[in-house]
Amino acid sequence: MAQIVNTPSYVKDVAATEGLMSQRRRRMIIAFLFILPALINFTLFRYLPIIASFRTSLYQYSLLGGYGSFIGFEHYTRLIHDPVFWKSLGVTTRFVIYKVPIQIVLSLGLAMLVQRETFGAGVVRSAILTPMVTSIIILSILWAMMYHSQLGLIQSILGIFGIPHLSILSNPNRALIGITIMMIWKDLGFSMIILLAGLKGIPGEYYDAALVDGANKWQAFTQITVPLLKPVLMFVIVTQTVFSFQVFVPVYQMTKGGPLDSTKAIVYYIYQQGFSYQDMGYASALAMVTLAILLVISYFQMRFLRAEA
Amino acid sequence: MKKRRPLFLPVAALLFLAACGGAPAATNSSTTASGTTSQAATTSAETAVPAATSAATAAETTAATSVATAVATTASSGGAPGEAVTINFITIDDPDLLLAQKAVADAFAKSDPKYANVTINFQSVPFEQLFPKIESAVASGANIDMFLADAPDVKHYAFNKAIIPLQDYYTADELKQWLPGSVAEGSYKGVFYAPPSMESCSLMFYNKDMTDAAGLQPPAKVQGWTMEEALAAWKKTTVSKNGSGTPTQWGIRWGQGTYQGDYEHGIIRRSAGKKGSPTFMGVGADGVTFHGYLDTPEAIKSFQDYRSWHRGPTPVTPAEPINNIFFNKQSAFVVYPDNAIGTINRLYPNGDFHYGVTGIPYYADGSQLCHGGSWHFGVSPRTAHKDISVAIAKFFGGAEGSKIWYSKVHQLPARYDLLGSLPEYNKYPQQLFNEGLKTIEVPRIETPGYTEYQSIFGELMQSIVAEGDVDVPSLVKDAATKMEAALAKYKGWNQ
Repeated sequence: MAQIVNTPSYVKDVAATEGLMSQRRRRMIIAFLFILPALINFTLFRYLPIIASFRTSLYQYSLLGGYGSFIGFEHYTRLIHDPVFWKSLGVTTRFVIYKVPIQIVLSLGLAMLVQRETFGAGVVRSAILTPMVTSIIILSILWAMMYHSQLGLIQSILGIFGIPHLSILSNPNRALIGITIMMIWKDLGFSMIILLAGLKGIPGEYYDAALVDGANKWQAFTQITVPLLKPVLMFVIVTQTVFSFQVFVPVYQMTKGGPLDSTKAIVYYIYQQGFSYQDMGYASALAMVTLAILLVISYFQMRFLRAEA
Repeated sequence: MKKRRPLFLPVAALLFLAACGGAPAATNSSTTASGTTSQAATTSAETAVPAATSAATAAETTAATSVATAVATTASSGGAPGEAVTINFITIDDPDLLLAQKAVADAFAKSDPKYANVTINFQSVPFEQLFPKIESAVASGANIDMFLADAPDVKHYAFNKAIIPLQDYYTADELKQWLPGSVAEGSYKGVFYAPPSMESCSLMFYNKDMTDAAGLQPPAKVQGWTMEEALAAWKKTTVSKNGSGTPTQWGIRWGQGTYQGDYEHGIIRRSAGKKGSPTFMGVGADGVTFHGYLDTPEAIKSFQDYRSWHRGPTPVTPAEPINNIFFNKQSAFVVYPDNAIGTINRLYPNGDFHYGVTGIPYYADGSQLCHGGSWHFGVSPRTAHKDISVAIAKFFGGAEGSKIWYSKVHQLPARYDLLGSLPEYNKYPQQLFNEGLKTIEVPRIETPGYTEYQSIFGELMQSIVAEGDVDVPSLVKDAATKMEAALAKYKGWNQ
């Protein structure tokens, strides 16, 4: 005889909760599997090297000679008394200060310019994006040729206006500016396209309403565009600061850090210590300090921009 | 469930690593049919280097051109071919050397049936990047079998066990087949490591059309002009043909390429000292002391002269170097080894480049010298094909390999038999190089820290010619301090 058993309500609740839990767990597992390749990549090629780099910084170490004696934080104290380190930090900071604000302003202006689908906007967009997708080493070689004080294209153009030949890369006061101009030109497309996406995300109704309320273009820009673009701006500023802090290839290719250390950016100095001077232990200490500086800068930038937003 | 979740990470990581490990090692080479050559050029992506991953990543930002020379000939050699093997060989990005290497590699494959399926994959990098490339390849355990080593670097590689000794592969008589200086440069602490390809001695080439136009007749002998006499000639041949006042034809380019390395630029300061003086020696007997050698008053004077050639009231050489300035007929003189003859022959096969050779300029109150040494063939301790790599090194430095090499590069051979068999080295202009090798050649400074030294020296020369106010004596003294700091780790290496 069949027996009808009424399931108590608390049992149903438990079953429902368990069902939800297992569904949630399944979702978590799927999500985890999606991020797993990136996690492995970051662990193997970012985090583990950071740990290895820190360990190396505590030893006398050269690539060919391998690990020497353990010296604790000696490399870090050496770094404090190393004038070239401070100079390279100054060079890098100047490069970031020259480049990032000009690049952001220019790219925002260009993004607004090409935002509207007017005649030729596509061509302008492509022209600005082309340097972004071109190899930096090739661009560095080309720009070094253009800057050449005897044969460079820029010298020829200056010559048309009667301006005498100008040493750019062999002049300690101009070399960094030369590299900065090239890098702004190269990275303009990247920041422009991100800002363009941000601009496209601002609903047009806001501008229509502002227009009805009698706002002019400047007011619309400062009261609508800039506030709504802040998260995107924050992303661009932080990433460009970090990328600019790591400038290496143009320095390596165009000036080798010279003349008179005037373009010796910190990452080039790290490379030089590790590969030219055979002092990978010290290079690792420099890399760790650079990492710490970048983390602090990024942290404060994000805090400041978040607060502003 | 919570307990099981962390298992995903190690399991997935293991699977991922297993998949990576199971994949065959990628190479740039391809084995092709008889006698054919496949060439592939790759350019690595260059981006800003993440500081966090340390400077190791920076090595990968170098532009490396890979030339794969696949040599596979079985029919002509008749015997059974050996197993297919790829030998990865790091070399420099020089058109003449690449041609020579390919030709010798072809001959090696035909030399014995067991090497018929050996592919030599030449990975070429610019000169300045050669050392970092070899260094990172050996340190990381990359699949590199052989490399081209600059003579003074052999000691550095040997010191760090980055090259295997080949002493046991040569008899005493075989070692005598090369000039003693070449064997010494390929050795470390009396053990032979790397067979040489060539010897060298830089003299001064001139464009005959330009010197004729200036009414100059450089002496056709090794003991040519003093620095003072040479400077007068360089001034005379520095001319502006377009009336702009800016020279369109320069007097001199001191050295190969655009690099200000020690091979040619280091001669200037050493020439300022008399033979045996600290200035002439260039470095202390310990190989790590530079104060009192690099910064002597006469050496500093030579550095100041070098600056005035570039930035003086009448400059005779461009402050920013111009690539191939002599070969493109933009300078009247160039200080260069005799491989310039091979380059001129390649660029001007119809003989429409009229050139001559004279001695390398020297300080009258100092001494005349040229730096010797050239390329050596090194075998990496990481090689999985030691026997084949050693056989290649022996073949490249052997009678047949050297002969083929010479036919492409036209530079002083390191082998006695070859040098003696070349009639051109008994008549002008190549006779001057043969004579220079015997009379004024000195090895570059002997130190296991030659690479560090050369990096700092190159920076010094770049800074000396910078525009603006430059305090040359301070720069030189600072450079000596830097060199000593960078080489301190080698103290006692030769005791």
